[in-house]
Amino acid sequence: MNAFRLVISGVGGQGTLLASRLLAQSAIEAGLPVKIGETYGMAQRGGPVMGHIQIGEGVDSPQMRPAEADALLGFELGEAVRRGITYLRRGGLALVNTRKLPPVEVISGMVEYPSQDSLLSLLKKVTEEVVAFDATALAEEAGDPITTNVVILGALTASGMLPFGEETVVNVLRESLRPAYFEMNRRAFELGKEGYVKALGN
Amino acid sequence: MSSHPVVIDEPGKRVLLMGNEAIVRGAVEAGVDVATAYPGTPSSEIGATFARIAEATGLYFEWSANEKVAFEVAYGASMCNQRSMVAMKHVGLNVALDVLNPVSLRGVKAGLVFISTDDPSQHSSRTEQDNRWLAKQNCVPVLEPSSPQEAKDLTRVGFELSERLGLPVMLRTVTRLSHMRSDVSLGPIEESGREVGFDWEGFSYRVAGFEKLFRRHKERHEKLDRAQAEFEDFEYNELKLKGGERLGIIGVGFSYNYVIDALRKAGLGDDVAYLKLITPHPLPERLVSKLLTSVDRVLVVEEVDPFVELHVKALAKDIAPGLEVMGRMSGHLPREGELSPMLLDGALAGILGTSSETEDRTDLEEESSKLLFDRMLTLCAGCPHRASLYALKKAVQAVKGDLMGVVVNGDIGCYGLAHAPPLNFEDTYFCMGASIGVSQGMAKVGVDTIAWIGDGTFFHAGIPGLINAVVNNTPIKVVVADNEIIAMTGFQPTPQTGRTAMGKPTKRIMIEDIARAAGVEHVEVVDPNDLEAAEAAFRRMLEAEGVAMVIARRLCATEALRAMRPDKPVPYLVDADACTGCKICQNQFGCPALVWDDEAGRARVDSTLCTGCGACVQVCPVGAIRISEVA
Ligand code: SF4
Ligand code: SF4
Repeated sequence: MNAFRLVISGVGGQGTLLASRLLAQSAIEAGLPVKIGETYGMAQRGGPVMGHIQIGEGVDSPQMRPAEADALLGFELGEAVRRGITYLRRGGLALVNTRKLPPVEVISGMVEYPSQDSLLSLLKKVTEEVVAFDATALAEEAGDPITTNVVILGALTASGMLPFGEETVVNVLRESLRPAYFEMNRRAFELGKEGYVKALGN
Repeated sequence: MSSHPVVIDEPGKRVLLMGNEAIVRGAVEAGVDVATAYPGTPSSEIGATFARIAEATGLYFEWSANEKVAFEVAYGASMCNQRSMVAMKHVGLNVALDVLNPVSLRGVKAGLVFISTDDPSQHSSRTEQDNRWLAKQNCVPVLEPSSPQEAKDLTRVGFELSERLGLPVMLRTVTRLSHMRSDVSLGPIEESGREVGFDWEGFSYRVAGFEKLFRRHKERHEKLDRAQAEFEDFEYNELKLKGGERLGIIGVGFSYNYVIDALRKAGLGDDVAYLKLITPHPLPERLVSKLLTSVDRVLVVEEVDPFVELHVKALAKDIAPGLEVMGRMSGHLPREGELSPMLLDGALAGILGTSSETEDRTDLEEESSKLLFDRMLTLCAGCPHRASLYALKKAVQAVKGDLMGVVVNGDIGCYGLAHAPPLNFEDTYFCMGASIGVSQGMAKVGVDTIAWIGDGTFFHAGIPGLINAVVNNTPIKVVVADNEIIAMTGFQPTPQTGRTAMGKPTKRIMIEDIARAAGVEHVEVVDPNDLEAAEAAFRRMLEAEGVAMVIARRLCATEALRAMRPDKPVPYLVDADACTGCKICQNQFGCPALVWDDEAGRARVDSTLCTGCGACVQVCPVGAIRISEVA
């Protein structure tokens, strides 16, 4: 079996690192080897964050080559496109949170944030499988925007691409999160699954 | 927290560990007694993990005042038969170099392993210096793991090696290894239990005699010879050679992964000989020679300097004169920067005359970079440094009549982002504490300056410079951007925080007390979020005679949010009717929580980002910003 390769992109503070860890822990529970390569420099200061997750045999380097990822988890619209066009393979799945986090260049009026249409049509040059939805809104519905990462994990699980089942992910969620937060995250996970199905329909 | 995977006592269990955590696990398995560190990316998680598990395991950990002190503390423990570890980023070793030299000359008693986390491609450093040269300069054996599993295993092995040889051992990582995570299989945890006692025979002038201890260069060389002999048969070095291969590759440490991935992709696993080299120094020459004498060409793959390549060239001259040595010196690999699977694909294809199949995405990347911003780094929403800089600029404008009337010498920390828009108020930064030193050279020749230094950096390396200014009558102006924590590397305490690495209360050492004790007569402490008061204090500083200091003190906004959890701050809002759309709050202040509402043509506060600091209220010329609820 080929390794399953995934790119996660977002901005510091969005919980991308936790999402990578939850997926990797799920892989371990499922008895699969896993490698995560993370690029975060000074993420605290609003910088871009990217994770490469490779699950399965035959992987040594934690960094992927361009055009190798089976799926992209885009936590922020612009960052999703930036990484997707480099790493996503032809026909790979792009899950994109349509929420924008404008960087300081945009805030201080130096440049404009490009439109969602222009960004997504660039991404579509790599793959038609673009599933875009407002994951942050679903997280807010679940109780806290901080659960955006789990919404996106739910969507990925619903896609059926993971080399392990939903139960594994939910168990890891239960074991890794504090009990007080589990119920909210469980809701976020379900909303993510539904969000994926709805967005597919659009 | 006893549940941290680093302390689980279940040999054989597979857990997810980051490279840096795996190092701590290796130290725990080796029964380390004392660990010290100074934070710095990409090393900081080593100390942070030690801090979390120290109490559960009974080992001692501290964040030391700087890397040199950290190294000395570890050495003291080693001389008393306690295994010790010290961790730092690559440039930290420059600070500790003064003590590394006598430690390697004099030798160690209990194992001493020090970690240098190098940063090829400068992900979060001012340089990509390769510390293997410093290890060589000081006759220190180097272990270079290729994976978190090896980082753990080699840390344990490193302690044994260090004890056998009587030398400190350097474990060198690169950012990609320090920050990667993978499944790691745990080993058994050794009880510490070494008897404590100063080794008088080994280290005491009084007992062993000065002459015996003082000139040790010869002994040090003999120890290194023994290290070399051990490395010839070191189980982690792996030579794959069937005979008949034309090409050989040496993959050093982490770079070995790129070699294996590229060979796998090209389907060349069986046709190319390779050596996985975990011990770049001292080079196991017999082992390397086996490869060099069997092939026509050899490619050396390593990060970041051609350290092994140079040695291989020298070796080949004697034992395989016709051999072609390829690598970073020959141009087959780039001279600078980290490597990648792609770079190796390309190098292999170039050497073998094949084509590499990776799809080229550069056209799309160009299209994206035209469409999309870069996402510059910026100070967090509510960061007190933003308020300080805003007030400082006003003061400089008022006193000097021109923002270019001073050279702003910054330093290392979040506040180093002062150069970024929209504040743009920093000209230089170099290395820990340099702001205070270089400002003096400028001031002495008549150029006005401001030294802009953080609290952590002040303690690390700023104090001698400040004393120097006072005794030499050099009237520098120092602003301490005091956010009461070492924020950039993950919120470690400073000596002023009043708690130890493990969160225990301790004495607070105040910067103003140090400054006054050092003879600085003009010292003020101000809350930067009171923009008016801060500006006035900065003005007084600029107008003062002699050395003058303002300490702009307010807790890091991100740490403040962490501390108030699960409570959330009360956000501010922009009164849309009052806002005139002048954009001053964005163009001149630039808090990321102040966003522009295109449709309304008004500023708006993003309530999920706002930290409720209130600084922006004073920036708005028409008073349109106010708190969203009255508490
Ligand atoms: S109060 Fe104003 S300056 Fe402070 S975080 Fe909120 S928007 Fe930013
Ligand atoms: S982490 Fe703290 S000090 Fe650093 S930029 Fe953010 S608020 Fe400022």
